Amino acid sequence: MARRPNLLAFLAAASLGAVLVFGATATLDDYVLSIIQFVGINVILAVSLNITNGFTGLFSLGHPAFMTIGGYVTAIMSLDPKRKPFLLPDLPEWLAASHLSFLPALVTGGMVATLVAVVVGFPVLRLRGHYLAVATLGLIFIVQGLAINLDGYTRGALGLNGLPELTSLWWVYGWMLLTLYVCWKLKHSSLGRTMLAIRENELAAACLGVRITRTRILSFALGAFFAGVAGGLWAHLVTLITPSSFSFLFAFQLVVMVVLGGTGSITGAALAGALLTIATEALHPVEEAMGLFGASQVLLAVAVLLVLVFRPKGLFGMAEPDLLAWVGKSPGREPTPAGSKRQREV
Amino acid sequence: MRTMLSTVMAAAAVIGLVASVPQARAADPIKIVALYNLSSGGLASIDGPSLNGAKLKMKEINDAGGLLGGRMIEITAIDTKNDLKEAATGAKRGVSMSGVVAGIGHSDTTFALASAPLFQAQGIPFVTSGATAPDLPGMIGDEMFMACFGDDVQAHAMAEYAYNTLGVHTVVVWTDNAMDYTKGLSKYFQDRFTQLGGKVLLNDIYMTEDKDFSALVSRLKANPDAQAVFASSGPDTAGIIIKQIREAGINLPILGGDGYDTDLISTVPGPDLSNDVYFTTHAYVGLDTGPANTFRTGYQTAYGVPPENAFAALGYDAMGLVADAIKRAGSTDYAAVTKALAETNGYEAVTGNIAFKNGSHVPSKPVAVMYVDHGKVSLKTTVTPES
Amino acid sequence: MTASYILEQIVNGIILGSMYALIAIGFSLIYGIVRLINFAHGDIVTIGSFAMLASAVALKIPFPLAILVVLVTGAATGMMIERIAFRPMRGAPQVTGFIASLAVAIVMENIGIMTLTAQPRSFIVPAYLSKFIAIGPLSVRAIDLAIVVLAVLLMAALALFVRFTRTGMAMRATAENYNVARLMGINIDRMILLAFAIGSALAAAAGLMWGSKYSQISPLMGLIPGLKAFVAAVIGGVGSISGAMLGGYVLGLAEVLLVGLLPPEYSGYRNVFVFAVLIIILLVMPNGLLGHSTEERA
Repeated sequence: MARRPNLLAFLAAASLGAVLVFGATATLDDYVLSIIQFVGINVILAVSLNITNGFTGLFSLGHPAFMTIGGYVTAIMSLDPKRKPFLLPDLPEWLAASHLSFLPALVTGGMVATLVAVVVGFPVLRLRGHYLAVATLGLIFIVQGLAINLDGYTRGALGLNGLPELTSLWWVYGWMLLTLYVCWKLKHSSLGRTMLAIRENELAAACLGVRITRTRILSFALGAFFAGVAGGLWAHLVTLITPSSFSFLFAFQLVVMVVLGGTGSITGAALAGALLTIATEALHPVEEAMGLFGASQVLLAVAVLLVLVFRPKGLFGMAEPDLLAWVGKSPGREPTPAGSKRQREV
Repeated sequence: MRTMLSTVMAAAAVIGLVASVPQARAADPIKIVALYNLSSGGLASIDGPSLNGAKLKMKEINDAGGLLGGRMIEITAIDTKNDLKEAATGAKRGVSMSGVVAGIGHSDTTFALASAPLFQAQGIPFVTSGATAPDLPGMIGDEMFMACFGDDVQAHAMAEYAYNTLGVHTVVVWTDNAMDYTKGLSKYFQDRFTQLGGKVLLNDIYMTEDKDFSALVSRLKANPDAQAVFASSGPDTAGIIIKQIREAGINLPILGGDGYDTDLISTVPGPDLSNDVYFTTHAYVGLDTGPANTFRTGYQTAYGVPPENAFAALGYDAMGLVADAIKRAGSTDYAAVTKALAETNGYEAVTGNIAFKNGSHVPSKPVAVMYVDHGKVSLKTTVTPES
Repeated sequence: MTASYILEQIVNGIILGSMYALIAIGFSLIYGIVRLINFAHGDIVTIGSFAMLASAVALKIPFPLAILVVLVTGAATGMMIERIAFRPMRGAPQVTGFIASLAVAIVMENIGIMTLTAQPRSFIVPAYLSKFIAIGPLSVRAIDLAIVVLAVLLMAALALFVRFTRTGMAMRATAENYNVARLMGINIDRMILLAFAIGSALAAAAGLMWGSKYSQISPLMGLIPGLKAFVAAVIGGVGSISGAMLGGYVLGLAEVLLVGLLPPEYSGYRNVFVFAVLIIILLVMPNGLLGHSTEERA
């Protein structure tokens, strides 16, 4: 029997977080703040990828494609209309003249990414396993290729620079809370259970009346929405977006975060995302002092390998460890569904 | 117990204070942040030598006694891992380090666009060693300086040399569409070439990771009136392009920009095929000036290999330019250094004379036109653009 | 657009396809037995080309012998990867194995950069291989011909081995049904090592071909060919050796022909078209060209 989400506990944690954010923005320097923001963005990405890959078991590598789409749309919407005709001469009149503030721009970016996910998802999500991986990988290259070559609309390889630095820790925190909340609600809802069922045994789920295609597209689209928003947040933090900002290598890094945390575990994905981002950054000074550039990536790769050797299901497997047990609520780990160990094809 | 503890703490505090004071009195190092793609991506082959060049200059200055009365220069190299996010966060980390006086780095415009605005926002000068887009300072601000000439200058020089000296009036252009540098170079070349009266017969496109140019070669063959090929390319594809054009039996002159400045254009095609290639670059190869020779021998001694390409010299010059500005400013105050940089007029760099005239932060520097004859690269002529 | 131009492009596609096919076979061989994708496969290609450079240039070993050295180096690297990254992952979810091999790939690439620097290096083949040979209306370089011939030889050898030798049969058995093969007394560990050894040797051979054809290598060069060969293996039906061969040639031909036959304004869209074609192939044949359905049975 699944535990009902404890809304009060969530709100308490959220307010605590808000206090921390307030303190951080007041005291920490720009560099540390930007790292924390990237941690937050990676958490959004890892958790939203968890919906697609973790809950529903789709081997999707497509997140960077949606980030590119979302990022570019947000950037185009938020750019000064005076600069647009000069930078992007082929943009239609109504787009060039429009200007949205940050929240609508982000949501627009996310919606466009979702739209593309739905359109692409209908044919592509019929594929399974590695075939789906290749198809979503192809999506990354297709989006990149279009962004590079349609330079009247996207400014090609140079990308869009001088974007207003609209992202702040509050924005990242807010979207992170939203993503976590949506995922949490999803996991404990019947839709979430449907997704998990599809992942565990698709045939059995179909026999029980689950609408497979619809659910797969929905989970793909939901992941794409948050990826698009994350792309917009990223673009306005770096103030630059180019076709190669989000590459297939980034897709692998995100999958690493999801797998490390445990596919299906929201806390796991969030923690792994945060840990990996912080660790990468923390190792930079070490690398520089030794003059061995690339050493930080080696160390992290070895660390990931070791974790996987000893805990092949990731840090938390499919469970959500009850971090709030100490607050005095009823403790207990969520029972892992029976037979969740991946069967070898026999 | 409490009194003993507090005595110990007090003693420790005093010792700590006393120990720290002499350090504060000794000369503070002058910190320079260097941002380069050192560990991944195609740019690593030019960013690595750039950093080596910068460090070489730093060592030379330090060995000669440092700047401003004995202060040593200290370069902190930040690897931006071919990732724009790393470029931005690396820049943020750089500007937040205490004692940073200036930033140098990057051989690519897109990365400069990611890092430099952060220096601009803090009023810290940033000198790029190899990002050659001429509108870079315009896009970023008045803290942005270029140690290299702009792509317009080198492309115009090549267009003029091809039209006037080589007598080439019709050309086929190959452009790498995946790099902004090559697109810009191609555009500036075609603008000047057509302005002079030349004709571009075909504008063919490829992408940086392509290794197979047979389709472009076939289309080139289908244009028998072409008198030359302008192949706008970065260092990783230049050698491959030359090889495949020559292997197909096409003996037209091949023209290019500073992306050809790597020994790969000789070694990859081999001495038989590496022939009749002209390219523009930052002048230093074949130059027998004092700074160029010092640089070359110094690089060989420090790193065991001759400078891999002109970007090593550019890194050396970027560091030298900053050091020279600090010397002239007489202080490490940002505004003073920026002002001194903007007033640079005649800094004798390895790659030519650097001067920022008429408020422009793009130096008007001589362009070297190089010629490759059976694998041997030599200087044909040096073009000094009218400012 | 003459007939000889099209023929020339087809020949180029076949040459490129041969290299992709060799790498793709390695992916499928390994997948067939352990059901895991070896992401470090692309880096074995790089190692193959550097091994060739080292033996031909530094150690001055004659070319044909150097090929042997490359094959052995590739096999050894593959077996090492199996021990380090794959053996501990047996029984773990598929995606975990993928990530483990990705970790190994990252380690290899970065060690390559730290020791060899990211500078591309040139790679010269012996003069007798650079000559042009006329075949009908075309002239190809001897090295290109050698690449195709070597690839076909290696693939034929593999096919014969798998079909007609006891060990080959044992490998096929293991790939078909792991547990029953074990019950039949087949030494599973040895079969897996063998699969890795053969697959990696082929990848190393592809590396040496790649270096010979383009004359330029660097520590990161194997990344993109590895990725494309992974795509090729999947297109052909992941786990099927003949599918991998077919997929490799399809990909090679698609890549070259799309560039060759598209008007120049569109050659920048080449990746877009190649992947669009591949996705369409997958949509029409959801298990790849020669793969079998991997539906889970209830």
